[in-house]
Amino acid sequence: MELLGILGLTVQIAVVGTAINLPLALGVSWLIVKRRIPGRLVFDALVSLPLAVPPVVVGYALLLLLGNRGPIGGLLQDALGVELVFTWFAAALAAAIVSFPLMARAVMVAMGGVDEHLEMAARSLGAGAVRVFFTITVPLAYRGILAGVLLGFVRAISEFGATIIVAGNIPGKTQTLPLAIYSEVLLGDDTMAIRLIAVSVGLAVVTLLAHNWLLDRAAKNRL
Amino acid sequence: MAYMADSLLDLKIRKSFGGFSLQCEARFGDGITAIFGPSGSGKSTLLNSIAGLVRPDDGHIAFDGDVLYSSGEGVYEPPEKRRFGYVFQDSALFPHMSVSDNIHYGYKLTARANRRIEPSQLVELLQLERLMDRGVGNLSGGERQRVALARALATSPRLLLLDEPLASLDSGLRGVILEYLKRIRRELGTPMVYVSHSISEVMALADNALALRDGQAVAYGRATETLVMPEVSTFAQFDTLENLLGAKVAQRHDDDIAELEIGDARVIAAGVRRDEGDTLTVSIRAGDIIVSRQIPPQTSARNAIRATVSQIHMVDSRVLLYADIGVSDVVSVVVEITPNSLRALELREGTEIYLIIKANSVLPLEGGA
Repeated sequence: MELLGILGLTVQIAVVGTAINLPLALGVSWLIVKRRIPGRLVFDALVSLPLAVPPVVVGYALLLLLGNRGPIGGLLQDALGVELVFTWFAAALAAAIVSFPLMARAVMVAMGGVDEHLEMAARSLGAGAVRVFFTITVPLAYRGILAGVLLGFVRAISEFGATIIVAGNIPGKTQTLPLAIYSEVLLGDDTMAIRLIAVSVGLAVVTLLAHNWLLDRAAKNRL
Repeated sequence: MAYMADSLLDLKIRKSFGGFSLQCEARFGDGITAIFGPSGSGKSTLLNSIAGLVRPDDGHIAFDGDVLYSSGEGVYEPPEKRRFGYVFQDSALFPHMSVSDNIHYGYKLTARANRRIEPSQLVELLQLERLMDRGVGNLSGGERQRVALARALATSPRLLLLDEPLASLDSGLRGVILEYLKRIRRELGTPMVYVSHSISEVMALADNALALRDGQAVAYGRATETLVMPEVSTFAQFDTLENLLGAKVAQRHDDDIAELEIGDARVIAAGVRRDEGDTLTVSIRAGDIIVSRQIPPQTSARNAIRATVSQIHMVDSRVLLYADIGVSDVVSVVVEITPNSLRALELREGTEIYLIIKANSVLPLEGGA
C-alpha cells in the first residue's frame, strides 16, 4: 500500500536522523552544560543555528557539501563510489540537522537538572569524567533526554524544505509524508492529501503526548 | 601561626572568583582537622580544592609527599585519582541506586591493593543492616548521612573530607552522627578534614583547627587553643557554645532521670530515653555551668562534679575555662564565666573546683536514627 510505504519511509528517515543526533546532542550538551568549555556561548549559538535559518538554506548547504563536486560528496564518490544526494540517507541527514537544535536544547535542560553534587560525589569516589557521565548524569537525566529525542523525532518527520533540496521528492525512495502531501496538493488529489495529513498529525500527536508524559515524570522525579 | 602539626597535607593556594578571593597556606596533621569560619569565609572552596573539585588559580597541594596540584610544575591530579573521601552536607546520595549500590559504587572502583576497609565492616560500624536494600529516597536525614559516610569510607580513603555534615540535621541527630564520627576515628583511624561553622562541633571533634575569615587563614593550632584566639573570637559565636560529650548510661533512676558516665565522671541527666549500657551524646551549654570552689551544702542542682582548671582564656569580655573532669579517663569541659567571677574565685590553672550543673541542663541528643 502506498500510504504505508510513505509512512514507513518517513519513520525510517526520522529514526536514522534522530539516531545520528543522539550521541552528538549528548556530547555537545556535556561540553556546554557540564564541562562549561570556553566559548560555550558561541558554541551554544551554533547549536541553535539550524533553527534560525530557513530549512531551504540547510538543504542547499548540504547539496553543496554532498554533491559530486562538493568536498564530502566528491570524496565519497572517489573513494567508495557512493553518491548521497537524492537518497533516503541524504533525507535523514537533512532531518538530523534541522531537528538537532530542538533535541540538543532539551538534552541540555535535562542534564542541567542533574545535581552537580552527585557528579562531584562520584568523582570523589574514584569515577572518571566519562564514567560519571554514563553512571550518574545519563541515568538521572534519561527521561528528559528521551523527551528531547521525541521532540527531535517529531521535527524530523515533518521536515520538508531541506529534504526536497538535497533528496528530492522521489516516490518510494525519498518521498516522506510532507513531500507526499505537497505532491498530492499540487496534483489536486484532496482525498489523498487529507489522508496523508491525518496520518501526519496522528503521528505527531502521539509523539508529543509521549514527550509530555516523559517530561512530567522527569519533573516529578526531581521533587 | 607558630604551631604546626606534622605535615600530612601541605598546601598553599590562591583562588579568586566573583569578587571573592581565598588565599591560604596550611599544613594539616593526622587526626581530625577542622576548617572553621563564618559562612562565606571560603571553607568549602578550600575543602573542594583539597578534593580536586575546584582548581586553584595557583599554588600547590601535597598529601603525604605526593604532589596533587602544583601550578609551577603543571601538576593537577583529578579528584578520582586523589583517593580522598568526601561527605557533602546534603549527603548527595545517588537517587537511582539502593543504599547498598551507593556504598559499593566507590568500593568497586578502588584497586584491590588499596582496599583496607570492607563494606561489611562499615555496615556494622554505622549500623546499616536494615537499610541496605532500601532506596535512598525515604531515608531520614541521619540515615542519609550514615550512608554517605559509609559510601565515602568504602573507598578506603587516605583522607576523609566532610563539608558541614551535621548542618542539615536537627540537634538530636547531630549528636548521633557525632558519635559515629568519633567511632570512625577510633576504629578506622582515617584522618579527616572537617568543615564547620559551629564552634561546639569543632571543640567536640577536632584535634586541630584552621580558622578562616574572608578567605584568609587567621589562626591555626590545637582546636581548644585556636578557638579562643582573639582573631577567632569575633566570629566564634560563644553564646551558642555547648559541650558535646560522649556519655554512657550507667544507671537509670525513676522516670527519665539517669546517671551517665562521661569519661569516668558520673553526671545526672534528665530526659534520657536510652537503656543502661547504651552510649549517647549529651549537650551542656558552657554558660549553664556554675563554678564553685566548694561542694555547695544545699542546692537544687543535681550535679557537683569535681574538676581541675586546665586552661583559662580571656576572650573579649568573657572568660572561657577548660576544666578536666574524671580521674583516669579525663574529659575536658568548657565553662563560661565572667571576669568578675574569675577574680572573686581566684581561679588559676590547676585550681580544684566543682562544676554545678542542673540535671536538665544536660541535654541528651538521641535522635531517632
